[in-house]
Amino acid sequence: MDINEIIVRLKQKDSEAWNKMIERYSKKVFNFALNFAGNREDASDITQDIFLKVYNNIDKFKEDGNFDSWLSRLSKNYCIDFWRKNKRSKDKLELDENVRTPAVHDEQQSPEDSLIKENEIKYLRGKLLLLTPDLRTLIIMRDIQDYSYREIADNLEIPLGTAKSRINRARAKLAKIVLNESKLKGK
Amino acid sequence: MECKKVEDLLSAYIENDLPKEVRKEITQHLEHCRNCKLLKEEMEELIYRFPALEEDVPFFLKNRLLYIPESQEEEEEIKNQYLKWVAAVIGTIVLFLNIFYFTDIYPPANRALHAVVSQVEIMVVETGAFFEKVKESGDRFIYASTPKKADEKNKTGKDDTMENNGGKNG
Repeated sequence: MDINEIIVRLKQKDSEAWNKMIERYSKKVFNFALNFAGNREDASDITQDIFLKVYNNIDKFKEDGNFDSWLSRLSKNYCIDFWRKNKRSKDKLELDENVRTPAVHDEQQSPEDSLIKENEIKYLRGKLLLLTPDLRTLIIMRDIQDYSYREIADNLEIPLGTAKSRINRARAKLAKIVLNESKLKGK
Repeated sequence: MECKKVEDLLSAYIENDLPKEVRKEITQHLEHCRNCKLLKEEMEELIYRFPALEEDVPFFLKNRLLYIPESQEEEEEIKNQYLKWVAAVIGTIVLFLNIFYFTDIYPPANRALHAVVSQVEIMVVETGAFFEKVKESGDRFIYASTPKKADEKNKTGKDDTMENNGGKNG
């Protein structure tokens, strides 16, 4: 079932189409929210709210439109709104204290390896939160979710050159932060 | 090539997305510039490490997402039920008020309702009178301001005619 068929059937309140939609897009939206917000609790709430919006607004979506692009912008805008609200109340977003995920807890991994991986994930998510929402969005899409530059430019409705230069800026910024930290540790 | 320029092109360099000549220039720069080399290595390291941040959707969340259509329908049903109850309560109250007003089943309620209705009628009349007054005072204000202009026009008109007449006479 392709996405256009899913949308047509969703407009007719077909529950099978909704299952297909969740199967196809939940990982994308959840991972975007998770790496944007930095913790699973907020990411779960954000993901649920985004899909609630999708369900309630699917009638307004034109069948010849680009659903991926629409969903990406919806996710990005919702996450930025969430970030602004939380910035005021918490000053900064919180990271998961314990990053216990199925990916981290691979049965073949030793507890030491799992712990290292947990710390690695926590460390990288912490660094992502230092970026502005726009730059964070681009890094998530390019380096975590493996979108092509063209897809990023189309989905976020920005010129291709802008997408490339901003991603480079975000990567350089993060790399400098990490380098400065290692210098300080070295001292 | 300057360090700033190299920094701007590092992603394209790492992803092999540059013309040969530019790539060669950057390679030469990186051979002798330690800072740019470190920056490039750290960027490569981050690009390599970031995919580890992708996770599967937790089971509980997937269930919550799959349940959205049902939960929305339930919510709609609850809202409809609530509206039905509100309509029923309002309807019953109106029915009882009518019974008490038009019949003498319970005389104190009948008297009280008639008193309330007459109070409401008085209020309606008073409000109407108040608005009439406001309208009248507004009209008076308009009439008070327009004749002045009319007088001025009349005066100037008279002057004009006098002048005209004077001119003709002269």
